Amino acid sequence: MKFLISLAFKNLTRYKRRTLITAGAIAIGLMMYIFVDSMLQGAEIESVRNLNWFETASARILDDDYWESRFQKPLDLNIPDPDKIINTLNVNGIAATKRMVFSGDLILNSQDFGEDGNMAITVTAVDPERDFEVFEFGRTLSEGRFLKPGEDAVLLGSWFAEDIGAKVGYWITIVTRGNGGFYEAMDLEIVGIVNCPNPNVNRSLVMMPFGTADEYLAMDGAATEINIKLPDNADVDLEVVKIQNMLNGNNLTVMSWEAMAVDYLAIAESKRGGSGMIMFLIFLIAAVGISNTMLMAIFERIRELGMMRSMGMSDKEIRMAFMLEAAGIGLIGSIMGITLGALANIFIIYVGIDYGFLLRDMDIGYRIQAIFRGVWNPGTIVSAFFAGIVISTLVAYFPTKRALKMDIPSCLRHQ
Amino acid sequence: MKYKIIVILIFLSLIIPITVFSITGEEIIRKADAIQAFDTSEAYGEIRVKDRFGVKVSTFKSWTRGKYESLLEFTSLAERGQKILRTEDELYLFYPDAEELIRMQGSMLRQSMLGSDISYEDMTGGKDRVSQYDIVLEGEEKVNGIDCYVLTMTARVRTVPYPKEKVWIDKETFIVWKAEYYTKSGRLLKEMETLRVEEIGGRMIAMESRISDKMKTDTETIMVINNIKINIPLSVDFSLDDLSW
Repeated sequence: MKFLISLAFKNLTRYKRRTLITAGAIAIGLMMYIFVDSMLQGAEIESVRNLNWFETASARILDDDYWESRFQKPLDLNIPDPDKIINTLNVNGIAATKRMVFSGDLILNSQDFGEDGNMAITVTAVDPERDFEVFEFGRTLSEGRFLKPGEDAVLLGSWFAEDIGAKVGYWITIVTRGNGGFYEAMDLEIVGIVNCPNPNVNRSLVMMPFGTADEYLAMDGAATEINIKLPDNADVDLEVVKIQNMLNGNNLTVMSWEAMAVDYLAIAESKRGGSGMIMFLIFLIAAVGISNTMLMAIFERIRELGMMRSMGMSDKEIRMAFMLEAAGIGLIGSIMGITLGALANIFIIYVGIDYGFLLRDMDIGYRIQAIFRGVWNPGTIVSAFFAGIVISTLVAYFPTKRALKMDIPSCLRHQ
Repeated sequence: MKYKIIVILIFLSLIIPITVFSITGEEIIRKADAIQAFDTSEAYGEIRVKDRFGVKVSTFKSWTRGKYESLLEFTSLAERGQKILRTEDELYLFYPDAEELIRMQGSMLRQSMLGSDISYEDMTGGKDRVSQYDIVLEGEEKVNGIDCYVLTMTARVRTVPYPKEKVWIDKETFIVWKAEYYTKSGRLLKEMETLRVEEIGGRMIAMESRISDKMKTDTETIMVINNIKINIPLSVDFSLDDLSW
C-alpha cells in the first residue's frame, strides 16, 4: 500500500501540469459551489430578517376573522383595546406595538407633484413612541424626521417617494373609508423618507401616526393588529401558544411570522429546490470536468499501464494506484477549491454583490433591496472538500476499469 | 297703537319662516325618494366616463321594480353581457366570459363601476335616508333658474359612505337638481348635477345627470337615459336566474 501511495504521489509530481489543470477544474467547481451556496443562504437569512424587522414582526395578534379578509383591510375586524393587551404582554417581558392598516386612494396635486393624479395605496398607522420596540425603522430614515404622535404627517418608503416624485415638505391627500364605511380625506405632510432594506416595504410604504388615523377613521382607539417581537432564540410557535392562552380567546388570534409569510416561505422552498438544482448542475459540471481530465490522463497512460501489468502488478493494485492518484488530484483541488471559496466568501460576506439595478423594479421574492451578502457555512465547506476527493476518486474508477480490460500487447501498442 | 304694531310685526317675523318652510326636510327627502321609485321600469341608456385619457361610452339596458330592486345589463361591446343585480339586501355582479357570479360585499362595494365616478355602493344607496341622517332645511336657492329647497344631511351613523350631503331639490317636482357629498371632515368629495329631466307617464324623471369626483381632476361621469318606460309588465323577476340567461 505504501508503494502504491508513493507511486501515486510520484505520478502526481511527474505530471505537474496535468495535475494542476485537473485540480484547478475541481477547485473552480468547488469554489463556485461554496460561493453560490453562501449567497443563496445569505439571501434567505437576510430575507427572513427583513421580513421580521419590517413586515411581520415575530408574531401578530389579529381579530379571528381578519386574516381571511386581510386583502380588503377591514377596519371593523379590529382589536378594541390594544393598549390593555400590550400592557399585559409588556408585564410578561414581551415587546409589542399596535398598528392600523387600511387602504385608500392617494391624491397627488399638481402644485407639488407637477401633475394631478391618484393611485391605490395601503397605509400603516403606527405608534411613533412604541413602534421601534418591535420594528427596526429607526435606523432606516434617509431624509427628514420620524413621525410625532397625533400630527397630520406621513413617512414614505424611498422607492415609493422616488416613483411619485415626493420630497420632504410636500403634501398629499389620502381618501379612505373610516370604521363603518364613511368617506374621509386626510391632508398629510411628508415629514420623512425611509430607505427600508425590505424592497416590498420600500416600494409601497406610507406610514402615519396611529393617533391621527384613529381620529380621522373613528376607530375609538382600536387597532387592526398588535405586532410582537420575540427574542431571536425564542421558539416562536411555543410563544404563540403562550400568548394565545394569555388572551383567553376574546375573538383574537395570534399568528407566527411563518404563518403570515406562508407565501414567502413557499417561494423560498421552491427557490431552495431551484437552488439545489443549480448546486447539482455546478457539481455536475465540476464532475464532468474532473472525469474528462482523468479519462485523458488514464488513456494517455495506457502503454504505461500495460508495462506495469507486464511487470507483474495485479489489476487491483493498478486500479488502486490510479484511484489514489485521482484522490490526490481531488485533495489538491479540494484544498485549492475551499481556499478560493473562502476568499470568494470573504468578498460576498463583507462586500456583497449589488443587484439593486435588477431588484428596483422586479420582485423576485427575496426581501433584499440591493446587496446580496453571503454567510459562512462550515457544513458546505467540509462537504465540498470531501466531495472533491470522492468524486475524483470515483470518476477514475471507470476509465481504469475499461483500460484494464485490454490485453497487455494491446496496451503496449496503444497510441 | 305703536306698541301693538310692534308686537304684531314681531309675531309675524316669527311665524313667516314657519309658514315658508311649512314642509320639513324629512318630508322633502321622502318625496324626492318617492319620485325616483316606480312600480316597474325598463330603460335604455349610456354611461360616459371622461378622464384624462378621453371619453369611454358604455351602453346598458336596465329594469327596476319598486325602490330597491334593479337589474342592469351592459350592451356595449367591451362589457357586453355584464350584469349587476340589486336586490333589497344584496348586490351581485355577473361576468359572462368567466361565467362567474360575484356577491359584492364589504370593501368590494366601494370599487368604481367601470372606472366611473360611481361606486357599486352608490347603486345600493338611498335606503332609509330619513332614519340615517339628520336633515335640516337650510333655505331656498335657484339652480339653473329653478326654485329649490336646500337641505343639509348629516349622518347619524358611520355606515353611510357620505357623512354629509347637501342637496338642492326642486320645490315643485322634487327632482334633485344638485347634490354635494362630503367627507367626515367636510371635504367636498363628489358632486351630482341633473342636466335634463323629462315628463314621462306623468312623472318627472332625470334623464341625464353628471357625477364628478372632486378629489380628482378631469374626471366626470355622465349617466344618460335614452328611453324609459314606466309601470309596465317586466320579463325579469330580479332573481339570480336573471344573471345567467
